[in-house]
Amino acid sequence: MISAGTFHVISTELTIGMFALSGVAFLLCMLKKGPDSREAVAHWALLGGLIATPLAIISGINASPGDGIDNPLLANKMLLSMTSAGLAIGVLIRRKMGAAVDARHAGIGMASVGLMLTTAGMGGEFSRGETLLLFVPKETVMIFPLWASIVLIILGIAILSKSAIEHRS
Amino acid sequence: MRVKVIMMLCVLLLSTTVSTANPGGKGDDVRSRDCAGSCHASSSSNGVSTATLDITFPNEVYAGLLIEVQTSIGSVDVSSNSMVGMTLLINSDGAKDLPANDGWEVVTDPNGGSNNYVEISDTFSSQNPVNRSWTLRAPSEPGTYGLYLAVQHGTPEGGVAMSGISDIQSVLVEEVPENLPRLSPGWEPTNTRGLGEETTITLETMNTDSATVELMNGAEVIVIPVVDNQFTIPAAVNPGVVQWRVILEGEGPTQSSPWFRITAQEPGWEVDETALYLQSIALFLLCAGLVIMQRPKNEDIIKDYDNTDHVVATVETSLDTISDESQSPPIPAGGIPEGWTMEQWEYYGHEHLEKMARGEV
Repeated sequence: MISAGTFHVISTELTIGMFALSGVAFLLCMLKKGPDSREAVAHWALLGGLIATPLAIISGINASPGDGIDNPLLANKMLLSMTSAGLAIGVLIRRKMGAAVDARHAGIGMASVGLMLTTAGMGGEFSRGETLLLFVPKETVMIFPLWASIVLIILGIAILSKSAIEHRS
Repeated sequence: MRVKVIMMLCVLLLSTTVSTANPGGKGDDVRSRDCAGSCHASSSSNGVSTATLDITFPNEVYAGLLIEVQTSIGSVDVSSNSMVGMTLLINSDGAKDLPANDGWEVVTDPNGGSNNYVEISDTFSSQNPVNRSWTLRAPSEPGTYGLYLAVQHGTPEGGVAMSGISDIQSVLVEEVPENLPRLSPGWEPTNTRGLGEETTITLETMNTDSATVELMNGAEVIVIPVVDNQFTIPAAVNPGVVQWRVILEGEGPTQSSPWFRITAQEPGWEVDETALYLQSIALFLLCAGLVIMQRPKNEDIIKDYDNTDHVVATVETSLDTISDESQSPPIPAGGIPEGWTMEQWEYYGHEHLEKMARGEV
């Protein structure tokens, strides 16, 4: 058996590698340059990274010292990775629905990749005390009140349902 | 474009620093030497530390009782962050070398935790030895035991990870005399406390008639009375460490416990985890929904189930056909043939007109 820390390294590198590849491919899509396979690479790599993301999150929580989330970096990592995963799923579903890979689509994909890479950068600071994200306010965590989160969840579900119905009609 | 990309890659490559270590350390933990060494890449790529390492035991060590062990690190030059990782081990093999394997228990490490590996930031230099004390519980079985002190650190120039280990320091663990005043084997000291709060500690003793506590406040030692096996340490205003020990008197020889350390620290960062998880889920759903909702303009989205246009067009065509078919043939100048009804003319009028055209009628 391997420790949660080692497994976290494996799953994180898997996630970040695929997200980074997806980001480069989305950049090519936005610039309309490069091989025709860039669209397929962007979306399949994003899907691969998305599949590996829960493994990275769970192993990261298990590997972190202390009990629970006791550091603002960990809280921000959680929020950013979930936001990134949401954007990534949205991009993939949108593409599945037949949307063209235009600048807006590629831009959202790159935003998702950027958030995930920021999450990884925070992980580096948490474990090694070093980061390139010098000007990102990593120690500040914005937590909504419970009622606001519940309202947003309901809103999110409503938007998803509406989109699904519109897609079927 | 290619030149720009290549130049950008070159700048990124040239801006990296060469380092085989984790400059910020890996954090205090229970680690074997192999794991501690892995923080500095492969042990085969490490340099050999020049540090002089020493462990000092008290004169008498009794089985299962608490002792204070002094460790010293000298003659070492480290990296700019002045950090050294130090490990207490029972062998130098890199396997099964944790103190717990021999029955030792780290009760309080130099940083106030209970780990055998700690990272120390201090004024390390070739002229300035750095001492740290550990509170250990000796193995419960009498005998001769040994401990090693291992270190890993960087270098002032950077780039090489240094690793070193001391010679074995042996100690004789004796059986506890029957009437020795002592703290109970199951008693554990408190290592941490919050700021601004008094700390009341309850002692558990054996063979003890009376006890007094000495609290070290800088260079001054304050005596605190013990009432009903309890004593109170005044509240700390600032983060820091205070040390105390207990003097136990009874029928046997008077005993002094090791110096215990209590670290006063600011309250840790806390967050309502339920709110955090709910917000994460909310952001996930909201972002996914908002992206899916983005329908590009002027895009042909195939509507598989909307056949309204097709149905309307088909019906209109059918109606036109029916309308065309229901039109009666033009009635000739002589009128319809005698004896025909209009209904017959509508069906057979075309044939009659064709016969008229051929001159048959």
